[in-house]
Amino acid sequence: MRIYFELALRAFRQLFAYQAAMLAGIFTNSVFGVMLSAVYLALFDSHSDGTSVEGFSARETVTYVWIGQALIAPVMIWGWWEIIKTIRTGAIVTDMLKPLSFFGFWLSRDLGRAVGHLLLRGVPTLIIGALFYDLVYPGTPGRWIAFLVSIPFAVIVSFCFRFMMNLWGFWVLDHRGIAGIATVIVGVASGHLLPIAWYPDALRDVFNMLPFRAIVMLPVEIWLGQAGIVEGLGLQVFWILVMTAAAHWLQSVAERKVVVQGG
Amino acid sequence: MLTLRQECRIAIRIAGIRLRGQIAYPASFWMQIFSSFVIHAAEILALLAMFNRFNDMGEWTLGEVAFLHGISMTAFSIGDTIAVGLDSVPSQIREGEFDRVLIRPLSSWIQTLVSEVSLRHLGQCAQGVVILGFALSWTDIQWTLQKALFMPVIIATGVALFIALFTLVAILSFWTVNSIEVVNAFTYGGSDLAQFPLHIFDRWMRNLFLFVIPGGFTAYYPALYILGKDDPLGMTDTFRFLGPLVTAGFCLVVAWGWNQGIRHYRSTGS
Repeated sequence: MRIYFELALRAFRQLFAYQAAMLAGIFTNSVFGVMLSAVYLALFDSHSDGTSVEGFSARETVTYVWIGQALIAPVMIWGWWEIIKTIRTGAIVTDMLKPLSFFGFWLSRDLGRAVGHLLLRGVPTLIIGALFYDLVYPGTPGRWIAFLVSIPFAVIVSFCFRFMMNLWGFWVLDHRGIAGIATVIVGVASGHLLPIAWYPDALRDVFNMLPFRAIVMLPVEIWLGQAGIVEGLGLQVFWILVMTAAAHWLQSVAERKVVVQGG
Repeated sequence: MLTLRQECRIAIRIAGIRLRGQIAYPASFWMQIFSSFVIHAAEILALLAMFNRFNDMGEWTLGEVAFLHGISMTAFSIGDTIAVGLDSVPSQIREGEFDRVLIRPLSSWIQTLVSEVSLRHLGQCAQGVVILGFALSWTDIQWTLQKALFMPVIIATGVALFIALFTLVAILSFWTVNSIEVVNAFTYGGSDLAQFPLHIFDRWMRNLFLFVIPGGFTAYYPALYILGKDDPLGMTDTFRFLGPLVTAGFCLVVAWGWNQGIRHYRSTGS
């Protein structure tokens, strides 16, 4: 277990080397936070104060916007293609030869990275949102803790999906097409683009049955009190179990397919 | 010295060669166009879903906001298609490649433009045209000859503005050397901002988007004219037609900046 912790720690420390990139990321997330807040507030313009649309009041919607912007980096909404690069260069062979779980190797590094991104990008972005907007906060200490727990859970579900998308690299060499479509699926079905409750009923019902809502929507619902703590975290755990099983299955299929590039 | 006509002829030839190189992998080529189409379909989906739950956005109807989306997406995607080569300026500078650009007898800016040609943004362009079509059927625009003639002008000024913005981003890299993510907030942020009615934003954002980066003049104000809407900001009606003039001014400033950047450039090669 210790080795996985060390891997995570290294991935975590690595982020501190890129301070300019961190500031740039916070700036970009904040600009979009301001912009999206204005767009959503304009939708609520003609509603009287405190009106709730499918469970979201104007204040809650703005809170959703800023949590969403803060989560972009930790859960890697825009995708992540590190494994596919190692498939292309052939470095994956040495990774697979290492006497540790291939899945665990990448997962522990991703969790370390996510903690770093949460501290260096997520928290500052959320603080900026809190300074400029009247946000809603979790009502009880229990909810704060549940929200904090829900973030690593969200990262794990997101990681499993990214891991599986990367394994596509065993079958295709150019990942750009898949990358685009995978990004859209996550962006739309996770609730990043729009609260899932606002989609037309049929779409909403479909998205509610998919694992992606565990990545953005569930942490938001836990923060806002829309989801019960046990139900929310329980659903995330359910998706973690399903997704890790799926990821392991796909890995075992992919391993039989290894074709080493280069060399 | 080459005349402008000669420069353009060479540029078009280089672009043609790059294009053929890209189409050499048809599966990948179509996949990229398809994925660009799907990505931007998601934006439209979000817009439709918003209006599924709400009636208006700052007193604008779905058709009117969709019209803004249509003109901005079309202009941005064409601009991005033309200017995609500028994306590689930071890496060209870092790797010392830019030296080679400077010793060739062709405008450095044109060379950079054609250093990469990618049609992947045409998926977004198709999306923009589709949404524009829907917008026209959802709104009740009182068409006149002047309005019809002004439409291509709107798209053209939008394209010019986005190319200028991408150039501005490239210029910054002459000083910073590293590519900086901040600039996404200006290019992609600008294109997103142009898709929504300007009056819903805070004053400082509106002023920034009118008087620093003149995106409001290329999307919002021309849209007010075509849609025949009142200006809730109470600016003079002249604003609706200032787009081409303001954009031309902005382009001149950017062109000056490019030359300053070239002059400032010190090779990074080791």
